[in-house]
Amino acid sequence: MQQSSALKKSPLIPEVATIEKITQETPDVKTFRVVFDDPSVMDGFTYRSGQCAMVSLPGVGEAMISITASPTRKGFLEFSVKKAGMLTGALHEAEEGQKIGVRGPYGNSFPIESMYGKDLVFIGGGIGLAPLRSLINNVLDNRDKFGAVEIIYGARSPQDLVFKEEILENWSKVKGVKVHVTVDKGDDDWKGPVGFVPAFAEQVNPSPAGSIAITCGPPIMIKFVLQTLAKLKFTPEQIITTLEMKMKCGVGKCGRCNIGEKYVCVDGPVFTLAQLGNMPNEF
Amino acid sequence: MEHKVISRENLGKWLDTITREYDLIAPTLDDDVVLFKEVKSAARVLLDYNNTVLPAKDHFFPQTETVFRFKASAGQLAIEPEPPLARPRVLFGVRPCDLKSITLLDHVFDGDFQDGQYLDKRARTVLVGLGCNSPQPTCFCGSFGIEPGSSPAADLFFTEMEGGYLVNIQSEKGKEALQKGWSFFADPDAGQVKEASERAANAKKALKLSVDPKGVKEELDHFFESPYWDEISPKCLTCGICTYICPTCHCFDINDTSGQAGERFRCWDSCMFTDFTRMAGGHNPRPTKKERVRQRFLHKLRYFPDRYKEYACVGCGRCLQKCPVHMDITQIISDVKGGKLQNAAK
Repeated sequence: MQQSSALKKSPLIPEVATIEKITQETPDVKTFRVVFDDPSVMDGFTYRSGQCAMVSLPGVGEAMISITASPTRKGFLEFSVKKAGMLTGALHEAEEGQKIGVRGPYGNSFPIESMYGKDLVFIGGGIGLAPLRSLINNVLDNRDKFGAVEIIYGARSPQDLVFKEEILENWSKVKGVKVHVTVDKGDDDWKGPVGFVPAFAEQVNPSPAGSIAITCGPPIMIKFVLQTLAKLKFTPEQIITTLEMKMKCGVGKCGRCNIGEKYVCVDGPVFTLAQLGNMPNEF
Repeated sequence: MEHKVISRENLGKWLDTITREYDLIAPTLDDDVVLFKEVKSAARVLLDYNNTVLPAKDHFFPQTETVFRFKASAGQLAIEPEPPLARPRVLFGVRPCDLKSITLLDHVFDGDFQDGQYLDKRARTVLVGLGCNSPQPTCFCGSFGIEPGSSPAADLFFTEMEGGYLVNIQSEKGKEALQKGWSFFADPDAGQVKEASERAANAKKALKLSVDPKGVKEELDHFFESPYWDEISPKCLTCGICTYICPTCHCFDINDTSGQAGERFRCWDSCMFTDFTRMAGGHNPRPTKKERVRQRFLHKLRYFPDRYKEYACVGCGRCLQKCPVHMDITQIISDVKGGKLQNAAK
């Protein structure tokens, strides 16, 4: 090992950023629009759809959150966060203007180049739409590179649907994009379909020919969506998902997010079903 | 290789000289426990010991280490990274098993996303190895290709002989540290070099415990699922002692002190603990002892070799000595080699 004079920066040190805007998506999900304080850090933060970042509130802690913004829209990051633990709980108490720490981007990403010319089927459940939203907006901003787009999305109730305005006002009006939204349980005002995402996806019946399916949601939903896609004759190579694991370092060293020899933080979080089939069933 | 010899008396003088420019870390008695600690004087250095209770990794990847200090106030956040080492260090008396383990940790901390804090300590520490003359009954370093009497990982390597030590000078960094007290060293005669190599050979012969890990990874590739894991895991207390004293275990946690001003620190963590993998929503991919015991052994014998092409065990035997229920990695390797996982699967 060489003698080094200058100390290399620890990869665990975040950059300071400011929460510029907070959107209450659902009773327990907020979207945070974040900008690095140093403009050169903002410019240098190049990421791909599907990647994540470590978001921290010093004094509380840090958590890995997927970047829901699309890299096609520059100058800011967005994180949609469900209130679930200590850090996310504290983040939900934050106000616009609050300083936070952000480091990243981390992980692999959706293989967008391999999707050129293909029809895309997005299947999301609840907050699982957050990582898919980055890719959806990326695809819509490069509309002519892709075939038809179907977006199948569901949540527990109409109140739990995230990005409602974007889904209904923006995505559904783009040419060649079909949006299908369901809820597990409706209410008096809900006029749309009612039913769980996997069964609903089967009714929508997307064709596997020339298609790629990308899914994210609660583990139980993903499990049944994979069965639905198999029934619809999607092959394991045509199915892409993104996983969640407990992470601390995000850089393949702290040792907890592994599935077999793969670290989800650096080798994932995006895997094809074919890849998952070769990994131990421990996630 | 360049050799020197030094008498026992002069060794103390050289170490005392060293402390003028380097922090000296050496085996010493701390409440009757042998540990690597910083010592201000050579008088506190323990020369006759088997091995330290905690491995040398603590001085590159400390049990608890500040990453940065923070101060938050009305709309402001200041982050102050922990400064580099104030002085270079000499880490004296490291056994070949621990020396090897440091090169294994290098794979983790010197790979992608280089860990600045680890690399600073690594680059500014002179590693001084000390050969084992009498391995303990729990030592099995030879099984992992480690010689108890030599190590390429050290900057300087000392072998104890009648009345003193033979010193192998193995790097420029090592030679520089030696030259701080060059007059304390003399040139060896042929007999002394021969004596040292005989001692090293005898130490190798004195290793009683051995196991052959060849092919264990390939066998384990097939047996993530096996009733064997159900059989061996119940006795584990998940106390985590194996991971704390293991020279190759590198898993860590990151936490903050609470409040507006404080620090973010990292500390050793253990795959034996429930919280290690439990997510905020409650889901835990390794919820019981079975998954956690399996993770520990597969990490050492399958996943680490998959990633870095080497087993993450150096045969130091600390886990054999300290495990309260005698979980024995050499027994597990033997079981794997003996087809026990395969038989259990039937």
